[in-house]
Amino acid sequence: MTKKTVSRRAFLMGSAALSGAGLVRAANIKTRPWPGNRDEVHCGIIGYGPQGREITATLARVPGATVSAICDTYAPMLRRAQRDVPEATRHEDYREILDNPDIQAVIVATPTHLHRDIVLNALEAGKNVYCEAPMASSIDDAKAIARAARDVPEQIFQVGQIYRSNPQHRSVFQFMRSGAIGKPAMARGQWHAKESWRRASPNAERVRELNWRLDPELTTGLIGEAALLQMDVAYWVLGELPTRVQGFGQIMGWNDGREIADTIQTIFEFPSGLHLIFDATLVSSYEEAYEVYMGSESTIVFRDRGKAWMFKEVDSLMLGWEVYARKDRFYKETGIALLANATQLDAQNLDPTEDDPNVETPMWYAMQEFMDNHAFGPYPPAANWERGLEAAAVAITANQAIVEGTAKEIDPRLYTLD
Amino acid sequence: MNCRDLEETEIRLFQIRLPQTELLMQTVRLALNAMATRFELVMYGEDAVLLRAAGEEALSEIKRLDERLSFYNPNSEVSHINDNASKNPVPVTPDLYSLLKMASELSDKTDGAFDVTVGPLMRCWGFVHGSGAWPEESVRKKALQKTGMNQVQLDESECSVRFRQDGMAIDLGAIGKGYAIEEAATLLRECGVMSALLHGGTSTMVTIGSPSCGEGEWTIGVADPLDESHVLTSTSICDEALSVSAPHGKAFQKGNHMWGHVIDPRVGYPVQGAAVAAVVHSSATVCDAVSTALLAMNRTEMDHVAQKFDDMRILCAYPDGNELELVSNGFNSTDSTIPNDEKNG
Repeated sequence: MTKKTVSRRAFLMGSAALSGAGLVRAANIKTRPWPGNRDEVHCGIIGYGPQGREITATLARVPGATVSAICDTYAPMLRRAQRDVPEATRHEDYREILDNPDIQAVIVATPTHLHRDIVLNALEAGKNVYCEAPMASSIDDAKAIARAARDVPEQIFQVGQIYRSNPQHRSVFQFMRSGAIGKPAMARGQWHAKESWRRASPNAERVRELNWRLDPELTTGLIGEAALLQMDVAYWVLGELPTRVQGFGQIMGWNDGREIADTIQTIFEFPSGLHLIFDATLVSSYEEAYEVYMGSESTIVFRDRGKAWMFKEVDSLMLGWEVYARKDRFYKETGIALLANATQLDAQNLDPTEDDPNVETPMWYAMQEFMDNHAFGPYPPAANWERGLEAAAVAITANQAIVEGTAKEIDPRLYTLD
Repeated sequence: MNCRDLEETEIRLFQIRLPQTELLMQTVRLALNAMATRFELVMYGEDAVLLRAAGEEALSEIKRLDERLSFYNPNSEVSHINDNASKNPVPVTPDLYSLLKMASELSDKTDGAFDVTVGPLMRCWGFVHGSGAWPEESVRKKALQKTGMNQVQLDESECSVRFRQDGMAIDLGAIGKGYAIEEAATLLRECGVMSALLHGGTSTMVTIGSPSCGEGEWTIGVADPLDESHVLTSTSICDEALSVSAPHGKAFQKGNHMWGHVIDPRVGYPVQGAAVAAVVHSSATVCDAVSTALLAMNRTEMDHVAQKFDDMRILCAYPDGNELELVSNGFNSTDSTIPNDEKNG
């Protein structure tokens, strides 16, 4: 089978040339063949709900990956798996996948509270592991997973904090860390949707299993299950982890017997003094999801899973390249589009003022990094166990603050292993 | 995903009579904007919370498919095929591969009247980002040369797609909505929904069970293309899909003639056959594709196609002066018409 990819080395070479988001050259994903002397990576999917299906569909287009086995405890999901990937074996017990020596990698896409046992058993079985985010729903579980991953550096362990692998986020990260926004003032983000978060099944027992996100004993709430990827970008681009969080939570729309908040507000404090305000709701979809980083020179907005715009202060310095960049109007403001591959588009005679037709989804890049690691690694992925532990620790503590309606210090020891 | 509570029912190609809800029976209505149209879902059952949960999952699937199948989204899987398949075989997801294979079979069964490679023709006729314009003949001929499912290489072992020449483009506009509705209906059934109606833009719909969990069938009126407030005919369906196609939704005038956005891929001109085509079948995907193909066919071809599908019912309305001639093949029109005050469900 002829497939094409870019090597890890080529990607790093591209990254080394970063010089400002508007002129960043991204990896060309279509130019290098998958090394001919390497076999395909046979993957097992554990958990075939919406996320497991999305990952499976993505892997079908990622060079080097073959989905060879799928596990789910619910028969209708396995029937769906049979239809989607007929050549994959199907299992109700994930241990059968772990016992299969032909499977090199497993993707854990189960409910968060089930990650611990599966990940630990998979690592013990010698598998490389991709674990969906949040990595865990309790500090104990997060530390157990982190410890197990740390202790097997010859195996790959990647967490599903997918924006860490996304070229668009990486380029804007470089741009922000170079000081483009000037002196940071504050940050703000939101995740808004109008949906109940409930899942349905004709089987009553299955209904309880499916609705783990609404179970106070199991869930990390909106801040963990919905906002974690956006929050992870914040820690990354700001270069620091929060030390304190104030939380509020209310049930404003879904009075259906649930106990967890359908609307939350949080304020995170960082060591530099910067505050991040984040809110989330299941009651209104207004403006959906975005993050804003405000500084003395400019403000940068992320939205639509990685698209970014810069809004300059009128007295800020000219950077040069923005003269040629695409401008988008947002009511009375004009945003300068920050494209990860503007120069590459120009070189290919594509219009850098349009969206790049070759951009893949953040999930695709995360899976590509996981597969590249099999070919050229193992090396610590961008979203390694440390990043997974940090994000889980913040989410779990913030959720406690929301549930209690209080402020909580985030003990720095939560972020590290003993 | 943002499912909006249903506020109003768009009425275009068909009209729906929704039943009075039985006592103790809950009704849940949801809507979603996707695929450049509005999907609307109405469900009946005893537990409104579970109905809504099931509906959200189904509409979420439609949104997911929209992101992958869209001809207009430059980052969709279909756009990746269109950008790269003339240079290399493009690996695709198994479900998209199956859909393309099905599209190829439907192209064969309709003798090429349905063809997803119509993208270059849609572009040259100005229907991709506009309401249409008459192209230069040389441009039209060139676009026609780049059209044809026989120029698409589907490799099952590699699960890949390749175009045999440059400039080809797949546009799933005439099948994607039906496919999305069919997938969503599968999820609704898996979630235990026993009574539901889901439609996209009042052109393709699927029904589950009987209305309001009772007995009987859903009554659907096919709108008159000359007067959308008038019902051309009504039919009853149950656990089936219905699709209605018409060329007049997006059209431009040249001389005394209106030219609609449905292109006959065999000749490269907007269709000049039926003013409306309605199809009832067990598969919404098949309904969507065949109803579009019928617009390019004459009566003889319609009969020929009807024989190739089991359990398919067809209704075509052909312009005849200032009137429409209705030609049916198994389309069981009901005696009951939909009163005007019930048309909005």
